[in-house]
Amino acid sequence: MKYLGLVRANLGRNKLRTLLTGGAITLAVALVCLLLTMPQGMNALLDDIASNTRISVHNKAGIVYTMPASFTRRVRQVDGVAAAMGQVWFGGAYEDDGVVTFPNFAVEAEHVGAVYPDYPIAPEHLADFQRYRDGALVGGQLMERYGWKVGQRVTLRSTVWPVDLDFRIVGTMNDDQAPFFWFNREYLDQALKAQGGNGLDIVGMIWVRAADPSQVNAIMREVDEISRNSEAETAAETEKSFFSNFFGSLQGLVTIILVVTSLVVLCIVVIAANTASMAVRERAGEIAILKAIGFGRRSIFGMLLAEVVVLATLAGAVGVGLAVGATGLLQMFAGWSPALGPLGNFIITGPVIVQGLFLSLFVGMIAGIVPSYGAARKPVVEALREVF
Amino acid sequence: MSTDDTPIPVVAIRGVARHYVRAADDVQALRPISLDILPGRFVAFMGPSGSGKSTLLNIISGIDRPDEGALLVAGEMLNDLDEDELAEWRARHVGLVFQFFNLIPVLSARDNVALPLLLTKLDRAERTRRAETALRVVGLDHRLDHYPGTLSGGEQQRVAIARAIVTDPDLIVADEPTGDLDARNAEDILSLLRQLKNDFGKTIVMVTHDPRALRFVDDVYHLDKGILLEGEDAERAGAAIRMAAGGHVGGGGHP
Repeated sequence: MKYLGLVRANLGRNKLRTLLTGGAITLAVALVCLLLTMPQGMNALLDDIASNTRISVHNKAGIVYTMPASFTRRVRQVDGVAAAMGQVWFGGAYEDDGVVTFPNFAVEAEHVGAVYPDYPIAPEHLADFQRYRDGALVGGQLMERYGWKVGQRVTLRSTVWPVDLDFRIVGTMNDDQAPFFWFNREYLDQALKAQGGNGLDIVGMIWVRAADPSQVNAIMREVDEISRNSEAETAAETEKSFFSNFFGSLQGLVTIILVVTSLVVLCIVVIAANTASMAVRERAGEIAILKAIGFGRRSIFGMLLAEVVVLATLAGAVGVGLAVGATGLLQMFAGWSPALGPLGNFIITGPVIVQGLFLSLFVGMIAGIVPSYGAARKPVVEALREVF
Repeated sequence: MSTDDTPIPVVAIRGVARHYVRAADDVQALRPISLDILPGRFVAFMGPSGSGKSTLLNIISGIDRPDEGALLVAGEMLNDLDEDELAEWRARHVGLVFQFFNLIPVLSARDNVALPLLLTKLDRAERTRRAETALRVVGLDHRLDHYPGTLSGGEQQRVAIARAIVTDPDLIVADEPTGDLDARNAEDILSLLRQLKNDFGKTIVMVTHDPRALRFVDDVYHLDKGILLEGEDAERAGAAIRMAAGGHVGGGGHP
């Protein structure tokens, strides 16, 4: 502790250099802390949107492949299934750009309430959804994005089916759930028949709700067993697993970012080591004098290392603070708009703070150890001879 | 043959020699030398560049180690001490003054002087008190909070001397302490060193080229090519220095 004044004085020797080196460490630590929130944030996000009783059943070959519509009825008969709802991708584009800007599905309106009891859909909206053939249930996020109101009519032009459908928005959800657009499956079925087709005899995905979480695994096994050796073998998985796989590419991105960040940290270590080496070189004369007046190798090593470690730790602490502030801002923004809601899941937790501080300490130790050791181990007479 | 009241030398050198290997050359910096320096003496080593005087000073102060011979300084046989033990020994027993002052520019005069006390167990208040006392002794108690950059060369050297005495060492070692000062400041520094010897009984060993030093020191040793001159050789070297100084200096003229 008694060397602290000397350490502090030396850190203030070249303020610009100290500031720039500290700034680089601050930014790197803040970046790493923010990235460390991502895996946990993604998990929290999935926990938010996924139920522990809901199961996704889709074609084993992939979600773009379909299953016979009749399979939904067979799934409903499996022991432990409380409800099941088939859905089909409509691929509807809103307005004239011809691009699908939000997911829209034809669903079995009469089963929505039973499969999604956890979704905050008002009973009267659900009732209207079942009552009106052209009714649409729209996520709150989507309503806000396009400024839609309940009762408004919107037209979607399908990029998959040869129909354009005109919908009446009959209900919404007042939270930040996925930006979905659901409409009645019968509406699409009848539109296709009106065009001379066979109607809608397929289903893209079946959402199943188990009566009890303990039955989920047994239901998934049973469902897959029923479809075995059929033309459309299925792969059942939990809702969380489904979304996790769906966002798999994002997690890959997170991995890449973590790798890049590690390289950034490595660069920061090298920069800090270079700065420490420069500082030691510039002060070779002073270090020689300190040795001459009795400072031993351990004292010199400790003092020089302490300078880098103190700088890195302080800068790292600022970086952690910066990351905490940034996530605080994200949470504030998340409260302002449902579209930004998922951002609220990225929280700097205690372990992330500890990891950030340890990272700073690590950067300081690694960066300072070589120049400090080099300066400390040089015999005093050699050190004096080199500089005087 | 010694008697009971003969003082024990602060520095006892017996056959000390030192050589360096530089590139392919083996340089004999110091040929076997023996001498004693008694407590309370102000001693100067003089000689041309490369005569070995700084090498001898480094050995006496425990900065360097001899290749051969025995060295007893302040009651400690230095030959057997390793680098860290020598550092500890220097911190306790030696105060060092250099030609270029070598103060830490980011520390005030007070903190510069207190530096060697960081190696002791003294608390901060006591370290500060002792540093201020040392600065008062060298006449700089009005410059406690000044940084080296705001002090003149003479003042900086005074701070360096205060740093050398703050631990109350047995021996003060000065390497060309007037080498970077003008004539007036050089005289002041020599006078200050003399005062430390007179008032506090300090033993001072100094290397210098400065013929003015002859007026302040008790003993002068001349070195040339690593050899300690004796007898007529030493007389001739002394005369040459006095002549070079224009006859303005003379032995025994110190206050």
